[in-house]
Amino acid sequence: MPVISELLTRSGGLPEASELQRRLLAGETLLAESANHLVQVVDVLESYGVVLDAYSRNLIYQAETQFLNPLPIFKYLDGDHSPAKIWRHLIHDRINFEYAEYCMRAMLWHGTGGLDAYLDSASFQASCREIIGHKTRRDPLLALLHPLFSEFLPELIRTAATTHALGQFWRVMSDLFLDLAAAERRGTVTSIEEVVVFIQAGLVAAAANPITYGVTIADRPFWVLPPEAGLTFLMDVAVPYVEAVFLRGTPFLGTVSFNAQARQIPDDQGDFAYGALYADPLPTMGAGIPPSLLMQDMYRHLPERLHAWYRSQGRGEGDVRVKICMSFQKAMFCVTNAAIRGTFPHALATGAPAERAANEAHAAAWAARLGKARTDCLDVMEDATEPFAEALAGQA
Amino acid sequence: MLSLLLLLPLVGFLLLLLWPGKPAPGLMRQVALVVLSLQVVWSVVVLLAFDPSRGGMQLSESLPWIPGLGLTYSLGVDGLSLPLVLINGALSLVAVICTRDISQRPRIYFALVLLISAAVNGAFLAQNLLLFLLFYELELIPLWLLISVWGGAGKAFAATKFLIFTAVSGILILAAFLALAVLRGSVDFSFLPVDGEQLALGSQLVLLAMLLVGFGIKIPLVPFHSWLPDAHTQASTPVSVLLAGVLLKLGTYGLLRFGLGLFPEAWAVMAPWLAIWAAISVLYGSLAAIVQRDMKRMVAYSSVGHMGSILLAAAAATPVSLLGAEFQMVSHGLISALLFLLVGIVYRKTGTRDLDVLRGLLNPEKGLPFTGTLMILGVMASAGMPGMAGFISEFLVFRGSVATFPAATLLCMVGSGLTAVYFLLLVNRVFFGRLAITPVNDPLRHSRLDVRLEPVAPRETIPATGLALAVVGLGLVPALLGHLSESTTTAMARGASLLQALLAGGVG
Repeated sequence: MPVISELLTRSGGLPEASELQRRLLAGETLLAESANHLVQVVDVLESYGVVLDAYSRNLIYQAETQFLNPLPIFKYLDGDHSPAKIWRHLIHDRINFEYAEYCMRAMLWHGTGGLDAYLDSASFQASCREIIGHKTRRDPLLALLHPLFSEFLPELIRTAATTHALGQFWRVMSDLFLDLAAAERRGTVTSIEEVVVFIQAGLVAAAANPITYGVTIADRPFWVLPPEAGLTFLMDVAVPYVEAVFLRGTPFLGTVSFNAQARQIPDDQGDFAYGALYADPLPTMGAGIPPSLLMQDMYRHLPERLHAWYRSQGRGEGDVRVKICMSFQKAMFCVTNAAIRGTFPHALATGAPAERAANEAHAAAWAARLGKARTDCLDVMEDATEPFAEALAGQA
Repeated sequence: MLSLLLLLPLVGFLLLLLWPGKPAPGLMRQVALVVLSLQVVWSVVVLLAFDPSRGGMQLSESLPWIPGLGLTYSLGVDGLSLPLVLINGALSLVAVICTRDISQRPRIYFALVLLISAAVNGAFLAQNLLLFLLFYELELIPLWLLISVWGGAGKAFAATKFLIFTAVSGILILAAFLALAVLRGSVDFSFLPVDGEQLALGSQLVLLAMLLVGFGIKIPLVPFHSWLPDAHTQASTPVSVLLAGVLLKLGTYGLLRFGLGLFPEAWAVMAPWLAIWAAISVLYGSLAAIVQRDMKRMVAYSSVGHMGSILLAAAAATPVSLLGAEFQMVSHGLISALLFLLVGIVYRKTGTRDLDVLRGLLNPEKGLPFTGTLMILGVMASAGMPGMAGFISEFLVFRGSVATFPAATLLCMVGSGLTAVYFLLLVNRVFFGRLAITPVNDPLRHSRLDVRLEPVAPRETIPATGLALAVVGLGLVPALLGHLSESTTTAMARGASLLQALLAGGVG
């Protein structure tokens, strides 16, 4: 047997957790600085921004107009019931809104942060009772269902609340990513460092945005997430979202199936590591796995600059979704990087030993979690830079 | 008419050798392609001229060559040889199609492939024992060269082993034929069955034993099989296709034609032992395949197993079992050629055939998904999945043999079931799971995440796709082949059973 060719397999960088901690404390970016990385991150985030815009609109549409609808058959049509729209839906010429729902359910299931705490509070239960009482008087099906399954409708309302909150979160992120792409094109963002700073600034600016959600039933308005709950963008939605989708994820419907009975998944939900930062970009059998759905959606909206580069790499169009996923992971490390920077307890340049220790603990906690992630995407691939430099030169 | 089946590839062989100047390898390949395409077309013409309802030899041609030696140039075709002639043309064509980028001595390479094709056709069509032997030996040297010049790293050892084994095979067969002539007291080398009046049963048994060992090496049967895995491992993909698809069939053809055909009395006596031998061969081949780590060796051992069942069918010598033997020869030719082609593609793309190294090649984006799909189809056919050629042949073999040799047939069925075991092991390891090309003891295997395999171009899978279609086609419409061979195999079985009845009567 001949020795395995080095060309066939690439050894990933896999930086150690200590290296990640050092980068965080030194104010360096997690993702290595390179022109290639910049374009991958910016362009993939631009297509992600377009997709998030559609996800966000649909989630808000679902939460507002399909509220307490136990059979929401047309929930993906955004209210457009024209034959052409239905036909495009049937032949799958559409955005995979299932992925957005999957993220919503991951958030609902992992249930961290202020939103989840509010969904379990007494005031939420009181408003549920009020809403259900008002709704069941007009809806015989729900009037029949509610006494039989008393937890069903409150759970639907929790789902709708999470759906709306995620829709609001993505509204902000979509605009942020599209602005980032515009800034890069204007020349105001020219490096990975500036990308992280741009995203951090966007997150900080939106941090205190209130998250509210109201519905109208038979001309009477109700609050599901009232302003008095005091839910805010960053701590109550963004952080739980990162926790649920980037980090923990779900051990099913992914690239690899795990068998809980064989104890292949951790007992503690908090130890889960199946999120986007840990996802294997290679689809392993099976159709419709959620990361593939997102890659397919982004593929439909790829900027031509990035698409042209993908065509020049690997198998061209043949493995384009894998390449999108790899770029997407780089981009998500930038977003995570911005979130970590934004949540450092003290300024990095601080001289006080206690503050430095607090910062180190914060960085160490993150580094320990990220150390197991797909950090092999963080380093520059030498052979990938050359064609991209040419592609950039060709465009200049 | 039949002579053209020999002349076409022979003329091609000479044309390539005598081509003036230094022609490009692509041109050589095209010449071989044209010649073999003509051969396939002419085989089809013979097929159309053939009357399947008649049992005996047809389209015979005869020309005295060296009458003093009893050597006549006499050709004929029947339902036993015609399918093999067809498959020889088709697989030779496939072998040339899948030969790409040959840099080393392309002229000789393609010439030798044509020579083998001519010799194999000659052996299948010969109606004279010496003529058969001439062609049987004629394919030996080209194949030895194909392995020893265009083979892998250990080609010298494998080619020499192949040469020694098959030379012994040829010597034994020649000795048997000569002894037959001497004992019969005539230099008539035609295919006339020997009966007890011409030759005592003891002498018949000795001669038959020589033939059995001679052809047993070629088939190969355990314990004469050890040359085959080595030869396959070192041979290039097209040569493996020829070797498994066509050349092994010379052994089983010889067994049926000369073992059963020349010595029906002795055959009837030895049949129970042959059935046991078949069961041992099938079980050994299958069990050995399970422990292989090299995909090609695994397919080679599976050949040993599947060819063993032809011996079982020949031993039973019922109309159904002999038809099953014919089916098994054709379907094994198609399926093993398909599997070797696919293993060749995997090897070309990954540089390895090691089951401990390859994982998840079915990956739709970065693996070899279509190759993997065809591989799954191929192993399903080999394991005898209904709807494909393997099922028909194994069903006929077992159905035809179970009444005569129930124990041996049951053991062979176990061996056939083991096919599913080793091929599922292969498919599970190599094609399912997360794509990876790393040895399990590689300390960096968890960080070697990005695998870069070249995609398989559609044209590279055309021959394999054609074979896969043939495998499914034969499985869905087995009547095509059955119609062609049934009269011949029934006549052969009738002859055998008549003699068995006579023997039984004589003893009783």
